Amino acid sequence: MGTLIIDNIVAGYGSGPDILRGLSLTVESCKTYCIIGPNGAGKSTLIKAIAGLLKPRAGKIEFKGELINGLRADQVLQRGICYVPSDRSLFPDMTVKENLRMGGYILRNSKLVESRIEEIFCLFPVLREKSSQMGKTLSGGQQQLASIARAMMLKPELLMLDEPSLGLAPKVVQQIFSTINSLRQQGLTILLVEQNARKGLENADQGVVLDLGTISFERPAVEVLLDARIQELYLGKRTRPLQVEARK
Amino acid sequence: MTQMIQILILGLALGGVYALMSSGMTLVFGVMKIVNLAHAAFIILAAYISFWLFKNISIDPILSIFITMPVMFLIGVLYYRLLFASRADNPHFTDITVLVTFASALVIEGLLSYFFTGIYRSTNPDYATKPFLIGPFFVPQSQVFATAISILVIIMLWLFLKHTRVGNSIRATMQNRNAAQVVGVNVAWVSMVSFGIGLALAGAAGSLLSFIFTFFPSKHVAWIGMLMSLVVLGGMGSLMGAMLSSFLLAVIASYVSFYLGPSWAPITFYLALFLILLFRPQGLLGKKVES
Repeated sequence: MGTLIIDNIVAGYGSGPDILRGLSLTVESCKTYCIIGPNGAGKSTLIKAIAGLLKPRAGKIEFKGELINGLRADQVLQRGICYVPSDRSLFPDMTVKENLRMGGYILRNSKLVESRIEEIFCLFPVLREKSSQMGKTLSGGQQQLASIARAMMLKPELLMLDEPSLGLAPKVVQQIFSTINSLRQQGLTILLVEQNARKGLENADQGVVLDLGTISFERPAVEVLLDARIQELYLGKRTRPLQVEARK
Repeated sequence: MTQMIQILILGLALGGVYALMSSGMTLVFGVMKIVNLAHAAFIILAAYISFWLFKNISIDPILSIFITMPVMFLIGVLYYRLLFASRADNPHFTDITVLVTFASALVIEGLLSYFFTGIYRSTNPDYATKPFLIGPFFVPQSQVFATAISILVIIMLWLFLKHTRVGNSIRATMQNRNAAQVVGVNVAWVSMVSFGIGLALAGAAGSLLSFIFTFFPSKHVAWIGMLMSLVVLGGMGSLMGAMLSSFLLAVIASYVSFYLGPSWAPITFYLALFLILLFRPQGLLGKKVES
């Protein structure tokens, strides 16, 4: 049910080099996958390729038995795959409500959109309070929350989150992850890209380590957390402070 | 005092037309980052269409808006598809547009000179020469009509952007192109339609301009400098900014024109451009570009 099968895809930007080099991954439904890896490994590229924002140069992406590579972004959305980019991409000069309305842009049914907005407000009461505020006036955490809520407007089966904790204070990161956890409990399939590898893995079923455009490693998240190599490369040794990155 | 107010009235009566002229240009920049140096040339083209319609089949220039707007919309859509659609992903897109639109302006000027010669033209409906008299003050009827219709068109544009699905997708693309794609907006289509709307606004401006100013094919050179100052002063891509700067500079220019002489009026625009680039390069209501 609802599986995403990525088969040997190659992708890159413009006429640049291949970022993804024959990557394969099978995503089972109702599970949360945390993708970690150094900068430039291709984490965001993978998500963009799935979302239809970047055309793979080779390979196949299949969702629920249907080929989706080569589809436009709106067609991918229509099939139940939503994406929350890493730059907290709210529309700055639109109100929170207008942002949510844009989340339902492809629904083409204003009554349905308005009732979905109401459902979102029940799920995220903070957003109801801020509903008439401009996107740019929200705090970082609220913007992230609103971005996630905007993606939830389409009731996706697969939600892809690109670094939801980026640039947020630890306390706010905690709130974002508890939101993600409540979505997990609703049976959503989640692909999570995280720089904060420990936090990401602690909140996932499956850990995927990406390096040089391919999967170097895929295990249950608990095992990845405890793996000695991963601890040294991505999590920092236990004696060191948390969140040490494998940058450079 | 009476004189001061009189000049203010004359300035305001031009502001609306300036606002309409600059709104199309700033919209096109806001959505697609196209610096349309041919915008003034397209306005002059529309003015000639109104002139032709007035002279040959006696269509009132105000009514000719219903022809110039859709015609210019179609020209805009075709022009965008032909010259820009395939280049939208080029990293130097904005630089390319400066050169392409500059060349287009010269082509339009050449064609207009060929068909209409370089003679000074204008449409002259009855209201073109009559003033309204209100107490001690007077305003040319033509300017009152032109500004009132401009404001009406701008309000309709605003309602369209705010309350329709296409309008929302245009605003979304202006504010965050990447996020617009993420929610499923077909930005390539939105870009094409927005360019059409930008030129439709140029079409309305051209029809109105045809009876308040005289024009000739190379007149666009003078107008584009003025439009650039209005758009940059307002903040490139900001519609509200363009409105504000249009009324502001129209009024200032009208005082300058009265006290220093009409030949000094254009200086107002260039001086404003110079000062804003020096002290607030993002414009009055524009956003800073994050590097």
